[in-house]
Amino acid sequence: MAGSALRRLMAEYKQLTLNPPEGIVAGPINEENFFDWECLIVGPDGTCFEGGVFPAKLTFPTDYPLSPPKMQFTCEMFHPNIYSDGRVCISILHAPGDDPLGYESSAERWSPVQSVEKILLSVISMLAEPNDESGANIDAAKMWRENRAEFDRIATRIVRKSLNIPL
Amino acid sequence: MEMVPESEIQDEVILKQQREIEKEVAEIHPLIGNIQPLTCLLKEYMDDPIYTNKLTKLADVYRSLRRVRPDGNCFFRGFGFSYFEKLLDNEEEWKKFQAIVMGTKDQLISQGFPKFTLEDFFDSFMEVVNRLGGEGKMDAEELSRIFNDAGTSDYLVVYLRLVTSGQLQKEEDFYQNFLEGGKSMREFCQQEVEPMYRESDHMHAIALGSALKVGIRVVYLDRGEITTSPPEHDFPEDCTPSVYLLYRPGHYDILYK
Repeated sequence: MAGSALRRLMAEYKQLTLNPPEGIVAGPINEENFFDWECLIVGPDGTCFEGGVFPAKLTFPTDYPLSPPKMQFTCEMFHPNIYSDGRVCISILHAPGDDPLGYESSAERWSPVQSVEKILLSVISMLAEPNDESGANIDAAKMWRENRAEFDRIATRIVRKSLNIPL
Repeated sequence: MEMVPESEIQDEVILKQQREIEKEVAEIHPLIGNIQPLTCLLKEYMDDPIYTNKLTKLADVYRSLRRVRPDGNCFFRGFGFSYFEKLLDNEEEWKKFQAIVMGTKDQLISQGFPKFTLEDFFDSFMEVVNRLGGEGKMDAEELSRIFNDAGTSDYLVVYLRLVTSGQLQKEEDFYQNFLEGGKSMREFCQQEVEPMYRESDHMHAIALGSALKVGIRVVYLDRGEITTSPPEHDFPEDCTPSVYLLYRPGHYDILYK
């Protein structure tokens, strides 16, 4: 089983290296182990996360791509769809039926034709447009809804921190 | 650090239990079992006159059966094995099938399936199809080995699921009449057809049979009326069946005449 997963991950890595999508760098931490990746995500323009560079890790199961990977930011984040420990909670990281937060039925789920690139692009959209219905971080969801100015202020601090700019 | 919400801990527990059940099922059932006489099912239903009666009637028509692992993929896996087994004995049909499968790739890409990941499954599928005839032809034993190797077997299932999804979306006007609950066809395919372990029904069977031009006969065995022989349905309608499947509520196995 891990044979097809490895082949697929190597192919995806190559693809991402040859045609990197804007705002994304991703690859295995160590080429001896293709099941643990790190990635850098650039905060999308025109959003409160603009310009930040956020590191995260992706952990792939041995039956990838039949099952989705897990994703966790390794920097400080404050966002309705990211747990306080950095784990990302969006629909594409879940197969239908294993449904932690009751996504809308139309939300895009994991299926074997999805890819790392598709996940990371979804994460960029998530940074731009949080889904405050499925709150992984309730405080962030509440603040996003009720006090956008304060949310933006925290986001700006996180962006500066990600760039090592003195706060 | 903030506590992980309780609802999420519960989800993790449920998921873990689910994985354990799946593991148990995998230990008891091979992905594709050996051929057994159909009468082996009689033992399972010894105390059940309805099933016993129906099975006795069924045994007049079908000699034997091959069990498929009940993991939600049984329709696709059973279909794939049964048809590939048939192609091993029919060089002409194999050549036609090769051409049909070749055509599915461009069809799916033209429908918007991502080329890069689609090709991964197509290539694995084609690799097996190419060896069902011609010079490098495999034997039945190797076919069984391939279908019992989870890595390859699951890839074959994924490709059949993608072909089914493509057909449902291509002929959406026809199939949407079967949809319940206000889902769009795209949502239905993304949630019920493309992902592994989701079960199949009529709609999947008609779509897969039509896309690959393979007739599927499904024999239904349930606790319905006792007097009749188990009902049979052909997918697509009016086809000449190449694949025979036995359906018991929630599960498909392969039948042999």
